[in-house]
Amino acid sequence: MTQPNTKELQLLEKASSEFSKKILAPEREENDKYPFGPYFTHIIDKAYELDFFHITLPEHTGGIGHGIRAFCLVLEQICREDSSLGGIIFTNALAQEIFMASGQHDFLKNHCEKATNPGQFLLAFPSLLNPSETSRLPLARRMGDNYTLSGAMEYLVLGGMTQTAVIPAVIAGDMECSFFLTSLSSSGVSVGEPVMSHGLHACPAVDVILNDAKGILLGEEGKGMAYFNKASGTMQLAASAMALGIMKGSLNEAMTYCGGRVQGGRKLKDWSAMQMVLADMTIQTHVADMLVQRACQAIENQEKDWSACVQAASIHILSAATHLTSDGIQSMGGVGYMKDFGQEKRFRDAGHIQAMLGHAQLKKLRFIKQFL
Amino acid sequence: MITRSDLKRVMEREPKFDDIMLSLRATGKQPKGIIEEVRQVVAIARKFNEEVTRPGSLGLDRKMHEDPDHLAWDFVKKANDRGLYTMFLPKIFGGKGYNLSCVGYFCEELASSCGAVANIIGVHYLGVTMLFSSWNLKVISRICKDIVDGEKSGEPCLLSLAMTEPNAGTDSQNVEFMDTGSLACHARKIDGGYRLNGTKIFISMGHMSTWHLVHAYTDLNKASENTVMLAVKTGSQGFAFGKKEKKMGQKGCPASELVFNDCFIADDQVCIDNRDTAKFKRSIKETNEQIFAYIWGASRMGVGAFGTGTARAAFEEALKFAREHELDGSSLINQEWCQTLLAEMYKNVLVARISYAEATYANGMHGLWRVINFKPMYYLIKYTPTALLSAIFPRLSQLGFMTTLFRKICFDFQSNDEMDRVDGWGSLAKVVGTDAGVANARMALEIMGHAGIRQDHRAEKILRDSKLFQIYEGTNQINRLNLFKRLIMRQTPQAKVFSSTNL
Repeated sequence: MTQPNTKELQLLEKASSEFSKKILAPEREENDKYPFGPYFTHIIDKAYELDFFHITLPEHTGGIGHGIRAFCLVLEQICREDSSLGGIIFTNALAQEIFMASGQHDFLKNHCEKATNPGQFLLAFPSLLNPSETSRLPLARRMGDNYTLSGAMEYLVLGGMTQTAVIPAVIAGDMECSFFLTSLSSSGVSVGEPVMSHGLHACPAVDVILNDAKGILLGEEGKGMAYFNKASGTMQLAASAMALGIMKGSLNEAMTYCGGRVQGGRKLKDWSAMQMVLADMTIQTHVADMLVQRACQAIENQEKDWSACVQAASIHILSAATHLTSDGIQSMGGVGYMKDFGQEKRFRDAGHIQAMLGHAQLKKLRFIKQFL
Repeated sequence: MITRSDLKRVMEREPKFDDIMLSLRATGKQPKGIIEEVRQVVAIARKFNEEVTRPGSLGLDRKMHEDPDHLAWDFVKKANDRGLYTMFLPKIFGGKGYNLSCVGYFCEELASSCGAVANIIGVHYLGVTMLFSSWNLKVISRICKDIVDGEKSGEPCLLSLAMTEPNAGTDSQNVEFMDTGSLACHARKIDGGYRLNGTKIFISMGHMSTWHLVHAYTDLNKASENTVMLAVKTGSQGFAFGKKEKKMGQKGCPASELVFNDCFIADDQVCIDNRDTAKFKRSIKETNEQIFAYIWGASRMGVGAFGTGTARAAFEEALKFAREHELDGSSLINQEWCQTLLAEMYKNVLVARISYAEATYANGMHGLWRVINFKPMYYLIKYTPTALLSAIFPRLSQLGFMTTLFRKICFDFQSNDEMDRVDGWGSLAKVVGTDAGVANARMALEIMGHAGIRQDHRAEKILRDSKLFQIYEGTNQINRLNLFKRLIMRQTPQAKVFSSTNL
């Protein structure tokens, strides 16, 4: 468990845990259905009331100003039961981090203060994308003090449920991207149907076509990757916390099932081959838990190698979660594959989360290049 | 160099030459005509993929997401129209008579396009496998006629295999677990047949099948010695379909619940029971185990081929993506890490194919289709005009002694070593092929990045589909234990498997 070290964190853990078990879990299967939507509005409203979307937002912008540890703790608790809400919280927080990295605190404060409901408050963002990895970003053109955006923005997460998005685009002549704020209901923006995805079905994403859509530059031109790297430096740990929550949920469900299911006249948990599967799952979960804690500590103390520490933890946990959730299904046999239990969803969600913040393999290459 | 007696002695040491050199041994034993048959069935499957599966499989998956109760009759009818449900029925039973040694290659090809559609077709042959493992020629002949008639009339007649129960998955698949397990599907002998009560679950294609091959037990406390195989027809009084499972993948192929409530099964639908199994050289329990070995040896080979097909599908999607996309400023196909992953995936496919091919040879020489792979029999059936065969054999099959003869050959002429080889290689092929399917699907997602998690790019569906192959027909954990039992344990006389001493 990501240990809360203050009373406030303990309360946050309790609130997110209860929310997860009482509100999220009972509706997990229903919210996973296709066609996606109407999205679980009442759950998002409740999460909004509980300030789950304000955790890392600085107090002066209307947030509660917690650090990465608190954020990881909440995501972990929520993703034990349903990572879709975790994906929504994560995506919104990542967009907020881009705002802050670009120095647009007042802008963000203004946005938050004006919002009266989650639809107005939440920010859409392509949270699976590392903008440096693609050459197919929208193009931005200067029009006086403003910009217009044209091109396709694939897999814009929350694009179908929010009014505002933060979008990377390349200004003609620039090598690096910049970030722009754009209204998804403005002219020149065409929002597609929710994309059918592997996991996180209730964390919708859409493909968006921009045709001279108005965009407001965040920060400076050509500094998009600097902002993204700053934001993702810590947010990749948040993605790991989501994976950790999934791992814990999967392990818990497997243990419960193997403790009750009898085959060959014995409980599954008594067969040593099955104990090995459960042991692997438990060990991986403990390791992931320790890694998240250690990486939180490295960030909080601003240790000189904190970035490498976070990257290593993140790459390991995101990969481990995909393997563990496969074992989570396997330990339950046929029923693990069915939607009646949470295991198959965790399997899909883990695969989905591994793709967050960019290509998993390129993350590894970028990691090693700093040591070469 | 070496004497004849030394050669025999040394070759019978573990690992036994006959166990590990199946393809080499089959080179001379297998009828040469099978090579051309394999070429033909692969071509038939590829054509079906091009015309039906590839254009429709993503839409079917999406439709099933929207409406889990949908039944993919359009795919079944297209398969039926193209004769895919009679392909592997022997000519003597009115089928097209493609040799069963072609089934694995056919399964791989189908699964390389869609795991669900592959099951829509392949599961039928799982039922056929179970039916043939009884060697009850009267029942085989009757059911095969229904399948052939279904093709002619355009009303598909499919078979399903019903073994798993709500509280008995592994318990229903291994005789060692049956007596201490939680089996509950009871068959009571009455005048003229059996009275069947109980529930079967996870029955692939159950809702869409006409005949269901059901394992039931006359004594639930001693099920291993009291197993009966019954053929139950859809529409029978006392038989109803229950729910359809909500699966993660392979959505187009329903997993059904079958409910039997005082369902009467006449004697002429009893495939095999203790009255028959008591007649052979092995004990009833051993013969039941032998029947399972025949079924698993063939069906797990097929699942291994399905796994190989999904591994190939993942590889092909990843390769296509790598050819067409740039990442980090350069073509993905030219990035070394990507090339090594693609090579790993290619290797997985080849190793998986070799595994199920070896299992196919084991079946051909020692397993379910050994009789029809016997060269004189193969060529007799192949070159005798179909009209003549269909005029003679259905009548012959009604003679009791024909069933006795076939059973004698299949049950008493198979040695324990041969049984081990067939069943052991079935498990090995299943584990290798299905693990390759999941591993390759994972790698495809890693190569494709965020594009991989979109259903319209296929890779995520391949991952969902591939996972089920690791579970059904015995989980891969159980299959590893069965591999130990069949091909490893005999080196250690004190070893036991599927036993409470293994806790």
